[in-house]
Amino acid sequence: MSALKNRDISLYLNSEKQSLRRFLTLYIFLVLALISLLSVSYYKSQEKLMFSNQRTVLSGYATEQVKRLKILHHYFPTRYKYPRDRRFKSAIYDIERVLIFSTLDNNHVNMDKVIYRAGNKIHFVKTLDDYYLGAMYLILEIDEDRAWFRDTIWNIIALGTIMLIVLAIFGLFFVRLFLKPMKNSIELLDNFIKDTTHELNTPISAILANVEMMDKSIMSEKNIKKLARINIAAKTVSHLYQDLTYLVLGHQRISKDEWIDLKKLILNRVDYFYILSKSKKISFQLDLEDSKLLIDPVKIARMIDNLISNAIKYNKRNGTIQIVLRDEYVLISDTGIGINSDKVNSIFDRYSRFTNSAGGFGIGLNIVKSIADEYNLKITVSSVLGEGTTFRVEFPKGNKK
Amino acid sequence: MKNIIKTIVTIGIFSTYLFSQNVFERNCLVCHEHFPASLQRMFMSYLKVYSGEITTKAALKGYLQNPDKKLSVMSDLFIDRFGIKDKTDLTEKELEEAINIYWDLYNVRNKLR
Repeated sequence: MSALKNRDISLYLNSEKQSLRRFLTLYIFLVLALISLLSVSYYKSQEKLMFSNQRTVLSGYATEQVKRLKILHHYFPTRYKYPRDRRFKSAIYDIERVLIFSTLDNNHVNMDKVIYRAGNKIHFVKTLDDYYLGAMYLILEIDEDRAWFRDTIWNIIALGTIMLIVLAIFGLFFVRLFLKPMKNSIELLDNFIKDTTHELNTPISAILANVEMMDKSIMSEKNIKKLARINIAAKTVSHLYQDLTYLVLGHQRISKDEWIDLKKLILNRVDYFYILSKSKKISFQLDLEDSKLLIDPVKIARMIDNLISNAIKYNKRNGTIQIVLRDEYVLISDTGIGINSDKVNSIFDRYSRFTNSAGGFGIGLNIVKSIADEYNLKITVSSVLGEGTTFRVEFPKGNKK
Repeated sequence: MKNIIKTIVTIGIFSTYLFSQNVFERNCLVCHEHFPASLQRMFMSYLKVYSGEITTKAALKGYLQNPDKKLSVMSDLFIDRFGIKDKTDLTEKELEEAINIYWDLYNVRNKLR
């Protein structure tokens, strides 16, 4: 029983993983966006703090420099040497923003700001009340101390990483919490299928056996047609029953591999589906060569049945199904509705259907995939919307005779 | 006859001296030379109040055309002592030329080192 449970868990694990992956990708993206926003905000605040500190220092320097300019103004032109200070460089501009004198390394000044970065320098702009030497703007320049920048970047990296890890753990916890209802729904559906499967076997077998036994020679044409319809309906239910049985119990049975004549098997299964295909006026085009495969007969039958059933289900009226069998592969193509290219990758998911109009549980192709995975058969799907779908199953060399 | 020649020569020398001077030297320097506050100091006072070339020149022109105690950049003490100058009788062109020469002579820009 626990083995069965484990099998079930593994079946919906894929869709859970996919949901988990999608949610986490979105979550990580949002978390990264949030961290980036916080980082920018932190960087800006640190930069502002640095400017604020520098501004205090530079204001003091500016007051000293203004005093020197005042003295020079008073003694000009007897004294004409512009005051210099080893702690900073400076420049003076008049009211029309024309340069009077400069010792700056970077002469790209912006008099509309009080303090700003100019390359690797910091400029501080002081507006004078008295225009000594005609100067309205005094610009002070110092080298930028990059220590704050290094500290800030390190803090952002360290705190950002810790925050990312913590939020990722929270995300994982929450996603499991949110996915629990989905998990429960799938478990409920699985249990429902298990319970109903057991109740289907006897009535279906009885219907099919009796339909086969009925003497058609004494029946009117009208009744023969009615019987054919009963046969189709019963076979459809039988096919569904076998899929459900395989899904519920098939994994448990030990595979009994034997050499299967695929040509014979395909002819047999085409014959089985003949009445069903006839009801939709679908014709078969068979191009079969001899091919043998070492595989469990029940499993390969389920695989071929599902691919043919699928080709009938999604085909158009008066369509065709082409089956090509070669030594290394089998191709089953229909002339049906086709699938969108973005949905091709998800058609093997459990409970996934091409459309909602064709009925079914969406478990057939999931069974095909699980059998293919078990025997290392490579399945490729090519589909053109409105034109049809082709399934190609390649056989591994080890299983070939 | 000797006196006439002497007079003509004197007038000639004086005229040559006058016409060799520019409009600033002829009309401004003559009087300001005798003031205790030099033209350089006055220029620095203008610079301290008006800062730029265009604003300073405009202020100078405005003051010289319409001298007013309120517009003067000089101290009250200076004005009490020397008073307000008379309105200029120079044409606008001559006045602008004189101001330009004044600016070029006392401008600090090319003198700072």
